[in-house]
Amino acid sequence: MKRRSVFRRVFDRPMTLMERYLLAIIVAYVLVVTLKNPQFFRLETFFDMVRNGSGIMILALGVLVVLISGGIDVSFMAIAIVSGYSSVKLMKLLGVDNLIFALAVALIIGGILGSINAFLIHHFRLPTLIVTLGTASLFHGFMAIVLGTKTYTEVDVPHSLLAFGATNIVTITGDKSHYSLSVFLLVVIAVIVLTWFLLYRTMLGRAVFAIGSNEESASRIGINILRTKLFVYSYSGALSGLMGIIYFSGLAYINPVTLVGGELMVIAAVVIGGAKLTGGEGTILGAVLGIIIIELFDSTLVFLGLNASWESVFFGSVLLFSLCVIYYRQRQLNKRSLVFSSN
Amino acid sequence: MNFMRSLLSRDRELSVLVLMTTAVTVTLMLTLGERLFSPTGLQSMSVQVSEFGFLALAMAIAMLTGGIDLSIVAAAALSGIMASLVMSGKFIPVTADNANFLMVLGILAALVTGLLCGLLNGFLIAKISVPPILATLGTMILFTGIGMAITTGESVAVLVPAFATISTSAVANIPVIFLMMIAAFLIMAFVLGRTRFGRKVYLFGTNEVALRFAGAKTERVIIMSYAVIGILVGLAGIIMTSRANSMRVGFGEAYLLQSILVVVLAGFSPLGGKGRVWSLPVALLLLQLLQTAFTALMFSPYAKNFVWGGMLLLIMIINHYVDAWRPRSAPKKSDGSDGNPHKSSVRDTGVVV
Repeated sequence: MKRRSVFRRVFDRPMTLMERYLLAIIVAYVLVVTLKNPQFFRLETFFDMVRNGSGIMILALGVLVVLISGGIDVSFMAIAIVSGYSSVKLMKLLGVDNLIFALAVALIIGGILGSINAFLIHHFRLPTLIVTLGTASLFHGFMAIVLGTKTYTEVDVPHSLLAFGATNIVTITGDKSHYSLSVFLLVVIAVIVLTWFLLYRTMLGRAVFAIGSNEESASRIGINILRTKLFVYSYSGALSGLMGIIYFSGLAYINPVTLVGGELMVIAAVVIGGAKLTGGEGTILGAVLGIIIIELFDSTLVFLGLNASWESVFFGSVLLFSLCVIYYRQRQLNKRSLVFSSN
Repeated sequence: MNFMRSLLSRDRELSVLVLMTTAVTVTLMLTLGERLFSPTGLQSMSVQVSEFGFLALAMAIAMLTGGIDLSIVAAAALSGIMASLVMSGKFIPVTADNANFLMVLGILAALVTGLLCGLLNGFLIAKISVPPILATLGTMILFTGIGMAITTGESVAVLVPAFATISTSAVANIPVIFLMMIAAFLIMAFVLGRTRFGRKVYLFGTNEVALRFAGAKTERVIIMSYAVIGILVGLAGIIMTSRANSMRVGFGEAYLLQSILVVVLAGFSPLGGKGRVWSLPVALLLLQLLQTAFTALMFSPYAKNFVWGGMLLLIMIINHYVDAWRPRSAPKKSDGSDGNPHKSSVRDTGVVV
């Protein structure tokens, strides 16, 4: 009887090269950091990373879906801030202090903003990068003009959000302090499962892969391009809305002008995971590993005795190296199969 | 009217642009009048537009090849940091004797840094076949990281006093850097419009595979394009540093969105092969007029962003309709393609059976 690896049994597919390579980097990096500073290898560090990284993990899944569909979306941070902040403003205005309400409003606003993206991209046949670059400024600017840019400190943040941010699944009490695993982990897992289900177990998911691989063929076999794109961008928008609420809850401080500007890092993390810009390729595990790498560099360079200003050098090098691995293989493959375009 | 019609049919994007610029200029003249169009106002506008002009020109070349360069602002900041480091007295003490030598060395350092940044991009895109968006995204993060690691995020001051005069001196009341920008535009217009290299850049953006089969060394075209971009970026870095008399990581980040905006505004297609250097100054003028007007009206940065984003979308939508509208004599052949025409055409022509 042929033995199948654990990975194969769980994921029902072989591990991709990029996933293997990212896993190797993560293991090697963790080993080096632990050897250098044993303080690092503790549950506390892990719990901290979950808390800080869950927001961008959710965003990354939205980015992944967009990349698989062959587009690139740089408006998700703006959407996250706009929907999160509008939701908080609405709660203040109506006097409702309810988490479900906040989430529902943020998801709906995020979805609507995302579908505006989809409509512009589809109807005017415009490049996705430039459209979302425009809408990012447009959405954020519009919010700043209409709602203002007042910040809320912990006293003013709605209690339901504070409670959400402080909810923990596990709390471990140490001798001096206690640390806990945030409930955000459950949200992240739920989003991962949902994204997996939508991508791999529904017709809609197949359609996303199809339009990413070749839009022309997809439309000829009867896939509704507009509907698929509406799904892709409003799903990414809704996830951004969710992230907005999580971000504000976790920080217990509401500032409507943060986050914007960090989009490219998240895209880079997903791209490291093997999602191709030309669409049709990309795995959830790859995106998750990419975000883990970015979080590792972000939070653990201090353990190596380097200050935070080295983060971008590390991350930029890893990114460029992975890009070289991915696209050099593609290039060799293209040469062999006589494809003459460069990418 | 006949002239208008012939202009409209020859270059629609440019006509839309000229129309918009005229409308904006007239509106601003009526509302702001003196405040905007005084000699000093014009002079300060021409200084501001020149550092941005180099970046816009660099972005335009990237778009002509069908790519995009997200790393221009990071590379310009890094070039500026290198120049400032040379002239900061940290390595070589600045004295009255060697000030001029240090200035030349600093300018060289900036140009070499810019060139190396451009060559790295060109290498990744041409030799490894990394898509330009991703290659330049990676180098953007890397360049910012290098600058950050060298300076730990602090601003590096220039101690050579002569360096600041690059941006302050003027010939007949026209700032020297403005003349530099005009010269750069003239040179690039000549290179792109009248030389073999320029022709290849346009052809690469239109159909890379066809260019390759025509016997051109496509990889060399790309590397050279990005090298030119690198030099332009180095020049932008020098001017930025000279204006602020110091440089830090993250300086001028807003220029990235604005340079994409101005290039698209000027009728360059992000899909490559389309756009003329001549339209760029008009688009730059429009953007700078609005910028100055916003400052005079004390718009918040968010309101500015709102207008930039809205304008970017609006101009692309207008161009979409202008493109779709054709005179009856030459009906557009419907190719039935859906969505991204660039990608499908590359895929179709890319495979030889």
